[in-house]
Amino acid sequence: MIRHLTTETTLTLRILFRQPGFWIPTVLFPAMLYAFFGANSGGGTWAANAMASFAIYAVLGVGFFQFGVSVAQDRATAFARWQRSLPGHAALPWVARIMVSVLVVTMAVALVVAVARAMADITLPALAWARLGAACLMASVAATVMGIALGHLASARTAVPLANLVYLPLAYLGGLWVPPMLMPEAINALSVWMPTRAMGELAWAAIEGRPFAPRDLGLLAAWTLAAAALTRATQMHHHRPRLPHPNRAGG
Amino acid sequence: MTQPPQTLALKARNLAKRFGPVQAVTRIDIDLPAGQALGLLGPNGAGKSTTLAMLMGLAAPDTGQVLVFGHPAGSARARRITGATPQAADFPDQLTPREILTYAAARYGVPLRPDDIVPQFGLGALIDRRLAGFSGGEMRRVALALAFVGRPRLVFLDEPTTGLDSAAQDGFRTVAQNYVTQGGTLILTSHHWPEIEAICTAITLIDRGETVLSGRIDTIRAQTRITRIGFALPQDTTPPDWLAATPDGTRWQSESTDSDALLRRMVAEALPFRDLTLQPLDLKDLIHRLRHKEARP
Repeated sequence: MIRHLTTETTLTLRILFRQPGFWIPTVLFPAMLYAFFGANSGGGTWAANAMASFAIYAVLGVGFFQFGVSVAQDRATAFARWQRSLPGHAALPWVARIMVSVLVVTMAVALVVAVARAMADITLPALAWARLGAACLMASVAATVMGIALGHLASARTAVPLANLVYLPLAYLGGLWVPPMLMPEAINALSVWMPTRAMGELAWAAIEGRPFAPRDLGLLAAWTLAAAALTRATQMHHHRPRLPHPNRAGG
Repeated sequence: MTQPPQTLALKARNLAKRFGPVQAVTRIDIDLPAGQALGLLGPNGAGKSTTLAMLMGLAAPDTGQVLVFGHPAGSARARRITGATPQAADFPDQLTPREILTYAAARYGVPLRPDDIVPQFGLGALIDRRLAGFSGGEMRRVALALAFVGRPRLVFLDEPTTGLDSAAQDGFRTVAQNYVTQGGTLILTSHHWPEIEAICTAITLIDRGETVLSGRIDTIRAQTRITRIGFALPQDTTPPDWLAATPDGTRWQSESTDSDALLRRMVAEALPFRDLTLQPLDLKDLIHRLRHKEARP
């Protein structure tokens, strides 16, 4: 199992890192946005919260594009189909993707943090950094599962526009670009039910030294389970159960 | 790799598959002993690729069951002993053939033996080049190598020589024949009749999602024994009606299930024929006759 996983992860890494046009923007974009809009937005707690927001934004981007788009595009290829005929557990490619995704998330978040420290002189206690890391990890799991669901729903052709259609509004509605307190009331009422808002609240709580709110944890878990159920339902649609032949009993 | 003669490499019963309103496969039954090469034949849209996907365990049949050496198709045990070539060679073009082959070999838990696999598929000059820019034929050679790299007991090949030049086709036929000679079992779909004749020992003809003809090629030949007789006649001479000959350029040809009797009568009636040729009906025509019951005594 470990040998197969290493093989699969190595292949996924090779393919990903030989496409700099794909992974570099995914890693750079959140840090760049933070440098433009977060680091110079007032400093102190404001800049630290913005750093947390853009770290979550980075997580979301990897989940939706590393998974949503690439799953939809790969699902249509004969190569992916052939991979399913190989020995090894069927979940191997998914586990490998998750590992590579965590690596890319780590790079993207690390870059946001590096920019925050360099430009806004953000300093936090070690516990806050650790809790921010935990919030990013929880957000990463949720974003990954949502990305996989999107990848199963979309075709190769529609994956990119659909990912953008979901990803950008979710980032806005979650308060990752505009802090929730500055949102119009109606938008804020919607925002509190968004998975990205729960992700953001967890990250902001880490920065501010507040405990993680059970409501945010529960909301994130609910969205994750709903996305997993949607993925399963889509898979079942493509692989229906075997039924006895009406004209012949047994096999 | 050698199996006892009666070991079934693949057993498929009562396979059916529907895609929405389209009944792609209605009923397919296959018994394939180990060490045989089976050609899955049929016109476009007959259900060959859907059948192959079910045999490989990549598509779940709506009804029926497939066993590979006694294991359900698609199960971990079945996948460990089967090899396949991707239907379309759309590999990630960031990789090299060596990297893909190493990956596949590792999934089977065997080391890659480049000295073995590289010359067989003509990959020598290509092995460490990125796949970006490969021609369709070069991609196809990589795809074929992937089917054999794990040293499987049963190999599935979907249109294996599509896009290959004639030299590569010949090379593939040799690889396939050697594989079967050494006890391997092969299932391939193809529209290329000479390829089927050269490689396969048995055929299953599918039409409109059903098995319409199945059996060993030599048995089918023995059952029908149609021989094609070609000859030339002097100008202004036409063959007698009993010969039922048809023009073939400047020559004539006839067919018979008892060529000896036909030739004896040609001699007895002093037919002035020359340049006589006798050859068994090729597989394509034979199957056409069998299906349309046009074979004459």
